[in-house]
Amino acid sequence: MKIEISRRRFLQGSVALSVVGGTSLGLTSVFAESEEHGSDMVTTKTGTGPATEVATLCEMCVNKCAALARVENGVITKLNPNPMFPKSRNMLCPRGNAGIQSVYDPDRLKYPMIRIGEKGEGKFKRVSWDEAYEAILNGTDKFPGMAKILDEEKDNRSSFLFCAGEGMAEHTFKTFFSAFGSSNWLNHSSLCLQTVTSGYGVTIGAYALADLENAEYVIMAGANRAEAIVTPDTMDIFKRTKGRGAKMICIDPRFTNTAAKADKWLAINPGTDLAFVLALTYVILSEEIYDKAYVAENFNGFEEYKNSVLSNKYTPEWAEKITTIKAKDIYEIAREFMAHAPKAVYYPGRRSTFSNNDFQLRRAMAIFQALSGGIDTKGGLIFGKKLKLGEHEGLEPIYARAESRAIEKVKGEKGQSGYEDCAIVAGGGSWISWRNRYIEDKMPYKVRGMFIYKHNPMMNMPNIQKTAQMMKKMELVVAIDTMPTDTVMYADVVLPECTYLERTDPVKTFEGAEPAIAQRNKVIEPMFETKPVIDIMRGLTQKISKTLFGITKKYDEDVRDELALLESDPLSEDNNATTAVKKTLEQREAEVYAEFDMTKPFEQTQEEINEHIVKAIYGEGAVKALEEHGVFYPNMDRFFKQISANEHQYYPEKEKSYRVGNGKVKTESKKVECNLQAMAEKGIDPMPVWRDEYNFSVPDSKFRLLTGRHAQFTQSGTANNTVLLDLMSENYIWINRKVATEKGIEFGDLVEVSSSIGKTRLKAYPTEKIGPKMVFFIHGFGEESEALTWAYKNGGNDNAVIEDAIEPVYGASSMHETNVEIRKV
Amino acid sequence: MANYAMALDYKNCINCKACEVACKEENGVLKGADKHRIWVGANEVKGEWPNLDIVSATFVPSQCQHCEEAPCQDVCPTNATYYNEHGVVLVNAEMCILCSYCMNACPYDARYVDDRTATVDKCTFCSDTRLARGETTTACQNTCPTKVRTFGDLDDPNSEISELLRTREHFTLKSHLGTKPKLYYLT
Repeated sequence: MKIEISRRRFLQGSVALSVVGGTSLGLTSVFAESEEHGSDMVTTKTGTGPATEVATLCEMCVNKCAALARVENGVITKLNPNPMFPKSRNMLCPRGNAGIQSVYDPDRLKYPMIRIGEKGEGKFKRVSWDEAYEAILNGTDKFPGMAKILDEEKDNRSSFLFCAGEGMAEHTFKTFFSAFGSSNWLNHSSLCLQTVTSGYGVTIGAYALADLENAEYVIMAGANRAEAIVTPDTMDIFKRTKGRGAKMICIDPRFTNTAAKADKWLAINPGTDLAFVLALTYVILSEEIYDKAYVAENFNGFEEYKNSVLSNKYTPEWAEKITTIKAKDIYEIAREFMAHAPKAVYYPGRRSTFSNNDFQLRRAMAIFQALSGGIDTKGGLIFGKKLKLGEHEGLEPIYARAESRAIEKVKGEKGQSGYEDCAIVAGGGSWISWRNRYIEDKMPYKVRGMFIYKHNPMMNMPNIQKTAQMMKKMELVVAIDTMPTDTVMYADVVLPECTYLERTDPVKTFEGAEPAIAQRNKVIEPMFETKPVIDIMRGLTQKISKTLFGITKKYDEDVRDELALLESDPLSEDNNATTAVKKTLEQREAEVYAEFDMTKPFEQTQEEINEHIVKAIYGEGAVKALEEHGVFYPNMDRFFKQISANEHQYYPEKEKSYRVGNGKVKTESKKVECNLQAMAEKGIDPMPVWRDEYNFSVPDSKFRLLTGRHAQFTQSGTANNTVLLDLMSENYIWINRKVATEKGIEFGDLVEVSSSIGKTRLKAYPTEKIGPKMVFFIHGFGEESEALTWAYKNGGNDNAVIEDAIEPVYGASSMHETNVEIRKV
Repeated sequence: MANYAMALDYKNCINCKACEVACKEENGVLKGADKHRIWVGANEVKGEWPNLDIVSATFVPSQCQHCEEAPCQDVCPTNATYYNEHGVVLVNAEMCILCSYCMNACPYDARYVDDRTATVDKCTFCSDTRLARGETTTACQNTCPTKVRTFGDLDDPNSEISELLRTREHFTLKSHLGTKPKLYYLT
């Protein structure tokens, strides 16, 4: 086996450095060794000698595709697709293939570190794990510890914010959050798919899946499946387009790779998809070509919605003026859709909130789909089946002093809280609302500390200057990550997690027509001093749990009462002592402490927990299958077979779960909810309607900024991956060719993009694939962390210019509401 | 003895470039955008926004065509470029003198310089990695999300590729040059 020079040197370097142990190294050596940079030989040829193969799940994006890692002499030399997982259908995308680089990235976090410079300066000292935990508990001369903060805040556990990115171990970190007892939790939802999941959730009871393997007609609007890869959707649809079984209509302001694969592409004004859907709905209602039998049985509020759409005259001619899509195309699409129904899909999409009307757009899409009868049926939207898993016990103690979520109180009542700029606060919260209120001192109590897991607030939300303000204001920031991200630079304590290929994660069940359970198995031992998050939580809780309980004892009335009762117990209740087993005071206090013992959920290893929750339901065979194949579902040994070099059978056709509820939706009423009066009470339109402020308008000399995803990059998470950077070295701004010519901008020219909140610079890509009133570039580039050799200041950062527009229902960030100016520099 | 070739259902290609990364990781191809054994050619859409001709926007995955009459093999002064027993065009690194005649002769621009071995390198159909281990697919075929590629033996009438070429219309690139390429594009 040949190992390329740099990887071998890198590995040898790791051994040498771990021997150095706890000695304090200089600033630069905490990150990558300088000689590890500059070499671009970072691929490894696979050998023909002995190798082992470990079944794992990819974590280069959110899809969790199944992979088989080839290991030779302890080095991962290749990641191959694992054919056994129905969701990922024997494929790995470019990022999945480049996952090896995340393990061998010389910039990755290697050791626990504590801040020695100014906040945000990125100056750290390498410490031992125990020293890091100690710093979290008791602080240093640079920052206060958790014990001091909680003591000063009189055990208000909510004085700490917890935030996490999406991932299989997010649950493990959330278990820590629950045990800690804070009510301040923020995750990616409000920067991601909050409005689409909730829009479908309140309308048809769930965010449904699209059966693109069998749909005959697909409207792909505002979803770019060729570039924003979702499995199995991407694989299923693109084998069937171009006259091969599925007609696909692509609606997008840009001519994307998805558009290139479509039968028809229609450019639309950004943020006006709702008008398009309302007009489609108008056609099928006025021409009475909707599925009347399905509607009669499965709709609530149909007549009101019908009256609204018809009386508001949402005609295709009306929509043409708003969207720029020709009325005749809208008539044709509506009629064709219904002709193919129920094997027709208005694709739900899976993306960030783009415009302020996104929630209403999703509602209108869900209702339109339901009007076709294409719900819970083959070729339409499906709910599928989900295989049950056992449970792992968490810990959710109640702290009397913990305040409810730090959001403005409505009517001044405890527990009755909300943000004034959004109607509903979902479980994941509203990141931007929370952040803005925090820096504006509008919090109902002090939040002074922050735990961040696999999350990059500095890169992931609009208006980076405000996020930087928030990070600086936090007195204790603990970041758990694999890479020295822009956010990690603001941390006081950095806890290095191992990469996904170095850990076993919580086993997970995947619903669908072909449901399965899958498990990420550890491929190699964690390198350097990194650890899986469950081990980090174990070590941290062992360090802090007793001390924090001491603070609770001091301030928590309920706990004090309980302990006082115990103390008085042997005396006052002496007449019962004959029956009760005598317990010492310590034993009794230990019983109370048990409710608050944060170490409990982390006692077992992840492997033990997985075994426990799988074995309880499916037996030992399933545990073995998950370890060996990474995948399990009942009858897998009989059902799974290879049909050809490129095709596999997961379930025989008659065993697939296309229809699980006889066409019923999953709302509480089992009806499609057209008219939500409860929303009206919160000031939200109870039915999707068009409002003038939704119209697309951009002042002269400005452009609407569009952002989006890419097949070769996952947000900022892959920005330092050298193999992916080979495919696209930086992001480019799409500018309409005529506009570029007028401005004298040519391909590769440096362009400054500016908005009311800031500016960024990147290179130009003049193209006919975008209209004259808009510009586009992909998200995730232009990082500011100097510890990221390849990502540092590479390309432009969209969040330096996107304004913090807040969607009114869930407080999600509206990513496409910003107008920018561009100039050649 | 086999006669290896590849069929490409190129209309499936979404230009994600999974094949390029799989090839680099499998075969230890040098990093660098100009160092690649396989690639996806993208034809920029024709027309003026918003009147664009969808059909003109195509993605064409490609690599060494393993020509039966390979110009690169023909011009090689040291016989470093040779056919193996399965009809795969390979390079002997020991014999290559970096004269780059092959690079100029190849009508498909399929050859590049590997600076480590000082060889004009190329696609091997994974002969020295996957096939040498007894595997039956190339890295690019195996990883492809939309399953563009089918690799196989033209001399085996029962192989999937033989079946595809019997039942599907197909074309080869620059066939007028008489190179007899063995990458078949299915229409």
